Order: sequence, then C-alpha cells, then structure tokens
Amino acid sequence: MSLYTEGVLILVGINVLLALGYWITVNTGQFAFGNAGFMAIGAYLSAVLTLKLGWPLIPAMLLAGLAAGLIGAAVGLPALRLSMLYLAMATLGFAELVQIVFVNWAYVGGAAGLSGMRGTSLPLVAVVVALVMVYLWLVSRSRVGLAYAAVREDEAAARAAGLNVTWIKVMAFGQGALVTGMAGALYGHHLLFIAPANFGVHQSLSIVLYVVLGGLQTFWGPVVGATVLTLAPEVFDFLKDWYLLVYGLLFVVLMIVRPQGLIGRSRRRWVQRRPAAQTHVAREAAVGPPDPAG
Amino acid sequence: MDPPILRAKGLTKRFGGLLAVDAVDLDVAPGQVHGVIGPNGAGKTTLFNLVSGFVSPDQGSLLFGDRDITRLRTYERTALGIVRTFQNIRLFRGLTVFENILVGQHTRARPGAFSIWPVASPRERELRQQAEELLELFRLVDDRDRLASELPYGAQKRLEMARALAASPSVLLLDEPTAGMNEQESEEIATEILAIRGRGVTVVLVEHDMNVVMRTSDVVTVLNFGVKIAEGSPETIQADPEVRLAYLGEDEAE
Repeated sequence: MSLYTEGVLILVGINVLLALGYWITVNTGQFAFGNAGFMAIGAYLSAVLTLKLGWPLIPAMLLAGLAAGLIGAAVGLPALRLSMLYLAMATLGFAELVQIVFVNWAYVGGAAGLSGMRGTSLPLVAVVVALVMVYLWLVSRSRVGLAYAAVREDEAAARAAGLNVTWIKVMAFGQGALVTGMAGALYGHHLLFIAPANFGVHQSLSIVLYVVLGGLQTFWGPVVGATVLTLAPEVFDFLKDWYLLVYGLLFVVLMIVRPQGLIGRSRRRWVQRRPAAQTHVAREAAVGPPDPAG
Repeated sequence: MDPPILRAKGLTKRFGGLLAVDAVDLDVAPGQVHGVIGPNGAGKTTLFNLVSGFVSPDQGSLLFGDRDITRLRTYERTALGIVRTFQNIRLFRGLTVFENILVGQHTRARPGAFSIWPVASPRERELRQQAEELLELFRLVDDRDRLASELPYGAQKRLEMARALAASPSVLLLDEPTAGMNEQESEEIATEILAIRGRGVTVVLVEHDMNVVMRTSDVVTVLNFGVKIAEGSPETIQADPEVRLAYLGEDEAE
C-alpha cells in the first residue's frame, strides 16, 4: 500500500470515529455542535502525555478519551435542560472556549501549537474503529439501545416508562465525547502537528455533515457519511477550483432526494415526531379542543 | 376497608395565580377503580402530574402504602409500581409495537452495562414472553413489528395501556383512555379497564365519558376548580346536587 493510500485510509478511520462519537449523542435526541472541543481535548492531552511525559500512544489515547468523556458528561449535565437550538449554541460556545484556552496556554505551544507527535498507524485506527462499531452494534441490539431510542422518540413517555432520562442523556454525552477524544488523539499523532485552529467551527461542522449525509437512524449512516466525505476531495480532485461548488450542489440535491441521509429507511422519519394531523382532527372532533389545565 | 395503597394529603399546586389543585385529599383503596371526574380545567390532569411526579406539589404529601413518595422522581415511582398513561397518546413512534412494550418493562429489566451481551438471560426470555402475552391481551399481535406511528388511533391507545402494564404496576393511572373514541371503542376500553382490575391492579381513571366512569369505577372523586367537591359511589355521585351544579350549570340543575 502506498504511503498516500495509507494516509487517506487513516483519515477515513479517524473521521468515522468522529462521526460515530457525534452520532452517539444525537441518537438520544441531543444536537450538539461543538465536538471539535472534545476532539481538541483528546488531541492535546494525548500529545502532552506522549511528547512531554514519554507515554506510548495507546495508553495516552485511552486516558485522553476518558478525560474528554468525563468533560463531555460534565458539559452535558447543565446542557441537558436546553432545548435543541440552545444546546447547539451552548456546545458551540464550549468548543470556542476550549480553543481560547489552548491559544493562551504557553505550555502547549499557544497559537503555534505542538508538533512531533507520531505513532498513529492504519492497524491501530482500524482496531479502534472496529471496537467502537462492535460496541455500538451490541448496544443497538440491547435494551440499553432501546432506552436511548426511547429518550430520543419521546422524553415524557420515557420518563413515564421508568427511564432515568437525565442519566441516559449524560451517558450518551460522555460516551460520544470519549470516542471523539480518542479520535482527536489519533488525529494529532497522524498529523504530527496540532494547533488550536485545527479545532474550530469548521471542524465541528464537518462532523455534523458526516452524520447528516450518512443518515441518523443507525450507526452505519455516520460510517458511510464520513467515508464518502473524506474520499470526496480525492475523487473530485480534477474539478480544481469548482470543487466546493459541486460539493455544495451535491449536498443540496441529496437533502432533497434523500432527507434521511444515504443510509436509512424513509419510513423511519423520526425527525417528524408529532402525531399525524388526521388523528389530531379526529380527537378534536370528538372531545373538543385540547384542554391544557384540565 | 384495606388501608389505602395511594394517599394524597392536602396536595396543592399553583401555576402563577391559578390554584390548579387546592388541598386535595385522596385515598385510593387497593384493587379498586377510582374515577376522577370534573369539568374542563378542574385540575384532573394536574393531579395526575402530581401523582406521577411530572410536577412537584407546592404543599401536601403523597404516600404509596406507608412510603412517602412526594419527592421521588418519576422513574423511581414507576419502579415502585405507579405508572401513568397520557391524555394525548405518547408512544415511541419510531419504534415498533413490540419495542414499545419492551421499553415499558425497563424498570423490571434494569439494563446495565452488561446487558449489551447478545445472549438473552432466562430473565430476559421471561420478560419477552410476557411482552408477547401483552400483545395478545391488547389485540396487537398482528401489529407486532409495525411502527407505533403506523397504528390507527384506537390501537395506539391500546398500545399505550399495554406499555404501562408492561411495568407490572400496582397502581395504573389512566388519563382519559377513551378520548377521541367512538361509543363501541369506549365500550371496549371499559371492558379492558375491568380486566386490568381483575388482575389485581388498582386503577385511577380520569375520564370524560360518564358511561365509562360509571360502568368501571368503584369510587368516584369529583373535582371543580382544583377543589374536591364530592366523593362516593357512582350512584351517589350521579345524584349529588353539587356535582350536577358543577356539570350542568345552575338552571338545568334545578
């Protein structure tokens, strides 16, 4: 395998991890928008461990992931009470905050960043991706996965069914951040160089796009979405300056033709949560308009 | 009479200047169907939200047997055996009928980190068997693998009741189970309520349909403007002048 191919495949794997990390949180109905922040925490912490403390990459990556996961759970806890748009804003703000901290922190190189990290190999990335996917596959077939789906589908009904909604959401936030942090560690040790600018809004947005393109319904969506979007620049290389324009057009067309993403059944339109209009009409005809106080 | 399984003492809830529930006492005897009626805005749904833990009271307390549950969260009450349904159906619309019932069993299955292991334990097989039986009981067998959102209205109502029963509650809170149903469907729901009672489950029933309330309830409590104005057997309630006044207005009551 050429060095070039290997580099592209490593990047595909890392982006798949980023997409999966985001999907874990989104799958419980929480639309975060600052995953670049967790990625930065993973990248920086692992870089400090390997560069300054001489750790091997694998334990550094695991610890960095764990730290990102704990911070994710801590961010998730207050953010839980926020509705969709405000949650996106709050997490975006969090990611900006992380960036500012690293810019002003001389120990990790400030705006110039850190360099010299190495060790990310294709087998390592492949193993991490495989482990995360097996974990998600097992979860999605279990009652744990069902509980996550229930929280996403209807929070009030989930509470009534005896689910600890707060705990489930914090767990989802933490696990998503953990995977994202590990991806950040692999990213830093692949690029050999990291700076705060690598973890800006554009990075958070890219992660969201992987998941939206691939589809939200199962974890295969983010896997496909991240793979396609990572390979797209390589395939459309011949378009040169027209690349972004074509790319944007493809996105628009796709969202019209397949709003559920590349992977996923159209009948599972879980974004559309309200009862069908027909049942509402039937109900009101029978018992009069809804009565909020009664 | 047996000591009450559920007891509210001086339960009070204010929304701004509105006293939605005003010092309501309620004793629910075990094994009975306890109807709660009242005109629109009488505070019935708020009372339900208080009992199920969706809102917390400003004053008063709530006992489940001997246990004070006033401060418990909703999921803790479900685990104890107090389970509610909703006036405007709330299902997991993107999950299948069977999956909805499995979620209803959550407090009994208590899935943890190890339950992602793909081999079903004997306990898990038992729970799934019970879920299949609930499908049968509520005539949902043919719809087992359809999405909840694809069911017709009546079947959605039945699924919600089945999901609530999946938690094997000792007290089932039904919030207008026949809302939006025709006479025949309401009749079926009434039969199902009596069947649930027959399984030893205590039912608290908020209902607009008087036929259903009178047919199923052992005791009826009447609320008006958040205050309990009457309580007794269906027959006494129907004859009560104050109840007639609250429902029918002054002229017709005379």
